[in-house]
Amino acid sequence: MDAAVKTLRVALVGVPNCGKTALFNRLTGSRQKVANYAGVTVERREGERTAADGRAIRVLDLPGTYSLSPTTLDEAITRDVLLGRVAGESAPDLVVCVVDAVHLPIGLRLALEVKRAGVPIVIALNRMDVARRRGVRIDLERLSSELGLTVVPTVAVARGGADALIAVIDAPRWMDLRAVATPQWQAPSAADAEQTQADLRALLANVGYEAPADSAWGRRVDALLLHPLGGFVVFAVVMFLIFQAVFSWATPIMDGIDGSMAHLGAWVKTTLGDGPLPSLLADGVIAGAGAVLVFLPQIVILFFFILVFEDSGYLPRAAYLLDRLMGWVGLSGRAFIPLLSSHACAIPGIMATRTIPAWRDRLTTIMVAPLMTCSARLPVYGLIIAAFIPARDVGWFNLQGLILFGLYAAGILSAFLVAFVLKQFGGARRYSPLMLELPDFQWPHAGNLLLGLWERVKIFVNRVGGIILALMIVLWFLATYPAPPDGATGPAIQYSFAGRLGALLEYVFAPIGFNWQISIALVPGLAAREVAVASLGTVYALSATGDDLSTQLEPVIAHGWSLATAGSLLAWYVFAPQCLSTLAVVKRETNSWRYPLIMAGYLFALAYLASFITYRVLS
Amino acid sequence: MNSCIPLNDLREGELARVSGLDAVSAPGATASEAQQLLARLRDLGFVSGARCQVIARMWLGGDPLVVKIGGSTFALRRAEASAVLVEPVQQPLAGQTRIPQNASATA
Repeated sequence: MDAAVKTLRVALVGVPNCGKTALFNRLTGSRQKVANYAGVTVERREGERTAADGRAIRVLDLPGTYSLSPTTLDEAITRDVLLGRVAGESAPDLVVCVVDAVHLPIGLRLALEVKRAGVPIVIALNRMDVARRRGVRIDLERLSSELGLTVVPTVAVARGGADALIAVIDAPRWMDLRAVATPQWQAPSAADAEQTQADLRALLANVGYEAPADSAWGRRVDALLLHPLGGFVVFAVVMFLIFQAVFSWATPIMDGIDGSMAHLGAWVKTTLGDGPLPSLLADGVIAGAGAVLVFLPQIVILFFFILVFEDSGYLPRAAYLLDRLMGWVGLSGRAFIPLLSSHACAIPGIMATRTIPAWRDRLTTIMVAPLMTCSARLPVYGLIIAAFIPARDVGWFNLQGLILFGLYAAGILSAFLVAFVLKQFGGARRYSPLMLELPDFQWPHAGNLLLGLWERVKIFVNRVGGIILALMIVLWFLATYPAPPDGATGPAIQYSFAGRLGALLEYVFAPIGFNWQISIALVPGLAAREVAVASLGTVYALSATGDDLSTQLEPVIAHGWSLATAGSLLAWYVFAPQCLSTLAVVKRETNSWRYPLIMAGYLFALAYLASFITYRVLS
Repeated sequence: MNSCIPLNDLREGELARVSGLDAVSAPGATASEAQQLLARLRDLGFVSGARCQVIARMWLGGDPLVVKIGGSTFALRRAEASAVLVEPVQQPLAGQTRIPQNASATA
């Protein structure tokens, strides 16, 4: 039978914060593939494991949901996959319903609903270690017999904690039991929903579950973090520390990368001599890619903090604190999470807005997401700050860190202003939900943290290796040819295609203080913002005259730019309209050209205005 | 019983029992949004008889507020909380409150 040779397809489903993703990591290790579901941008996470008997098993991590009656796009996808309603995606052969043993009621209710829809499931009772520690007793045998389902205890964050589940999934019998009937589900009526809750209550009583008292520790921490004053103080301190860390911890590693790139470039030139190929390698590839690669440590540190907050349960608490403030400008507190991830990159941030139920809230969040300072802007900020701001201490703080904090604050402040303006177009006061779960605090798990960081590093390095490298080679070509005529006096680049283009663009950008080198660098920066720094690296490496072979950009611009130009470029990048991938994602998420066009327009206008004012004030 | 109040009027720390849901109280919501809100509240455990407690409130009107129900904790906006009708439980317990999830509906 050909069905027997097919691989078993397992899906993980569960409420948010039940430890589903940790369990997924435990099942699949690093053999994961992240893509999108056809037609929508909901993230599709699939991994593969090899069963003891050598069969391949595909494991799908579905977006977390509380119920099969969806309120967001993510939740709708989970329901549709479970029920086999997604085109090109047949219903999974086996569903593992991950239920947090500490918060049994909410997870078990979902399991009941999924089971009643006729989906083949087993239950993974996760966080059993915490449940035991907090005195939660659950009669597993009774639970299994009452439900008529296999119930396995798991501890996703412990080595070997998923072994019992693995034994169940790997058992060959699922291959024979594969779905014969398609699942059936109808939106339950109010009476149905009440009935399910009554059944749940009876079930919980039968297995002896009682909700645990809060730990004294957790209660005290929450009393502080959710306090209307104390909570904000902690929030501000935490945010500020992150920016200090991004600047001061990363410096030694960055200096190391910078130095070795400079040496490598010089070595290539002295070893291979003059000519087009050594120039391409040293000025194009090494100077360009190196200028961006330098910022990897800062990006890793930023992501480290975001992942720690995500894992520990602090993010939704911050969302609660900020909800009122964000509601005032027409955003939901839920927008905090997408906007915080936009500080890493606007693209995942915009994709994360799918967890915002109200369309209007979601649209506003999307429109302001690019104002958050994404990590691609760090190279630009980092370069200019290092070149123009002395690294001295102001009180307890580092002046460079302070300026960086100011730039981030400028982005956030303008996002609030823009959201407020958009709200005025929105018309009458509208209903917008928050309804956000505040999970228990927990120590972030090192393994999951490393896996998450590794994924980010891979994406960043692939960008440097792929798109950025390709653009650098094109730019090097444009900046090198045609060669200057005999007897030319200026640097060769001025006679090249790029030089001429830059001279034209200078008409547009001269009023805000950009020279032709910056103007050229802005063009490839359209593809990815950090390319602007790489381009400056290439452009300046090629405009160097005589034996000045420096591949280090910082001293060159510190010497060559006025403070007003530097300030103007910083202001430009607070708004930085030029990121085509962001605009493409906005087009896909809103399903219309209208919003990306509006976005590009308003960002460009704000960027030009801010740079103009900064330039005039500083010069 | 006529001692029902909307959840958003419950005092911080006071223990209460849910007596029902009331869609009319969600201001600004369309009919389908109100339906969705009620369905989700039900699925989170806001059904008659369930015990709940407000554990934190933002300043200036307590919007949003944090509610414990069925062993889980949720931040709700006023508009959402106002759809839940509750009845304060008489003996106010200080500090170490346990919230029995499986309190029967008739208790």
